[in-house]
Amino acid sequence: MIARRVRRPRERLLVAGLVAPALVLLAVFVVLPAVWAVAISLTNQALTGVDARSPRFVGLANYQRLLSDDDFFASLARSATFVFASAIVGQSLLGFLAAFLLGDRRLRGKGLFSAAILLPLVVPETVAALAWASMTAPSEFGTLNRLVGLTGIGPIRWLQEYPMASIVIVNIWRGIAFAMVLFAAALESVPRELLEAAQVDGASVRQQLRHVTLPLIKYAILLFLLLTTITTFGVFGLVYFLTRGGPAGSTTLLTVYIYEQSFRFFELGFGSAAAVVMLAIVLGLGLFYVRLLRAQI
Amino acid sequence: MSRTTPSLRRGPFSLTRMPSDRLLGRLGSYATLVALALFCAVPFGWLFLAAINPRAGLYLELPDRVGPDNFVRVFTRADSLRLLTNSLIMAGGAVLLLLVVCTLAGYALSRYDFRGRRALLFGILLTRVIPPSATIAPLYAITLGLGLVDTYQGLILVLAAQQLPFVLWMMKGFFDTVPIDLEEAAWIDGAGRIGTAFRVVLPLAGPGVAAAGLFAFIGAWGEFLTPLVLVSSPDLWPISLGLFRAWVAYTLVDWGQLAAISVLYMLPAIVFYLLVRRYLLRATVLGALQGTA
Repeated sequence: MIARRVRRPRERLLVAGLVAPALVLLAVFVVLPAVWAVAISLTNQALTGVDARSPRFVGLANYQRLLSDDDFFASLARSATFVFASAIVGQSLLGFLAAFLLGDRRLRGKGLFSAAILLPLVVPETVAALAWASMTAPSEFGTLNRLVGLTGIGPIRWLQEYPMASIVIVNIWRGIAFAMVLFAAALESVPRELLEAAQVDGASVRQQLRHVTLPLIKYAILLFLLLTTITTFGVFGLVYFLTRGGPAGSTTLLTVYIYEQSFRFFELGFGSAAAVVMLAIVLGLGLFYVRLLRAQI
Repeated sequence: MSRTTPSLRRGPFSLTRMPSDRLLGRLGSYATLVALALFCAVPFGWLFLAAINPRAGLYLELPDRVGPDNFVRVFTRADSLRLLTNSLIMAGGAVLLLLVVCTLAGYALSRYDFRGRRALLFGILLTRVIPPSATIAPLYAITLGLGLVDTYQGLILVLAAQQLPFVLWMMKGFFDTVPIDLEEAAWIDGAGRIGTAFRVVLPLAGPGVAAAGLFAFIGAWGEFLTPLVLVSSPDLWPISLGLFRAWVAYTLVDWGQLAAISVLYMLPAIVFYLLVRRYLLRATVLGALQGTA
């Protein structure tokens, strides 16, 4: 612990002055919007028209409407599927696989492999989406169609025929590195001696993994699952760029739903009610995450 | 069992098994890694090939002729040039602002203890999990109320605020690594506390501060949703919006130019990640990556 206790009033003033600009910035543009979402969700605030200038308090009407809105529940279910399939299953498995294989010290070309895997994560999401726009291009010249064309399967309109599967795969692609970085650090922390001891006792790679490695890194796994669930719930640009929620709403995740209600149908109040539901989910997971981290730091 | 024979001290794959088994296993790892790397890299093939193909379309193809024409067009046409400068102004402005406020706050949080400091730190971290995509409507209402919609200042402030928790945490961490004895020595020599902080601590924490700045730059640089909502005038569009509007227009698109802009757009991200690789883990745990989604 390097910090010294503040006692004198002059010092107190100094500390407050140093911290204030950052806290004001954070409070106005990050915390206030979250609080404001609750306030707006209780009104009929709109983006244009009379309700934009003088919104009325409507109580829980927006929430009642939300509860009877099938589209809302459908978007919530889509988000859950998206998180589960792309983050919890896809990214975890492939990211762990990458970290595990790259952990072999005799492996050559490690730098090249990890650079390739990192690339999808580090580029801006609009570039990532554009790259997949070309991959999934519906004509026979699209990259994916050329690949499946080798087996004689006719051109597929990927984003129209398999919209959900497409965005899941794109998001797995983007997030493998995220899992890989976390898992690589966790695997590194497993004492080599333990694995060697298991080896001497005749344990196979699979047995070592199951009885030595996994139990030792389960904290890192939990941390990753929480983090990726939180961030994947918030994914908007990657999906919206590619499909704009379509076709026929089939890729309208909760985030896309909130955006559409607020800025396409101009109902800020109703959109904010949906946003509050999302905030509740994410902050719940976030509290758990911070508590985990707090135990560590 | 802390020291074993050299043959056992290799990786998880150097099992004392039959050689043919081992060979198969190694081939398997290479094959898997090659497949993973291809899956990750192939989607970028079109971007790079189309960028250098003067007659590019939306499809992956080898160019008949390779030339810088697309890049020349990006830099000579006013609209694409403006996209680049807008992105630079917004991300650059956000980072400058962040470096100032987070250096001050990070130093204070590292060096002074006060009641509620720990709670404050973790509260700040918790705000990191608030997805911008959830609070975008009230954010729009607030910036509208402040008269900041459709301005550089508005976007700079919001982008900075979004990256702030992460940068602050990183900075505080870097200041923590600079021993306070160094400062105390300078105080004895009669230097003021804040002066010392700048002359002694900042240079030592410098590389870390720079890394935090780079991560923040990449976050702000790639942001799509915030400008989508807070900026309507095409004069203020950053690259992300330019790409989106072009893609939406579809039939009117100059694909080669679009690919060239995309390559320019992803270049800083790639270069910066090479520079800050060793901080990647810390950044990941604090949720910097993908946080812009």
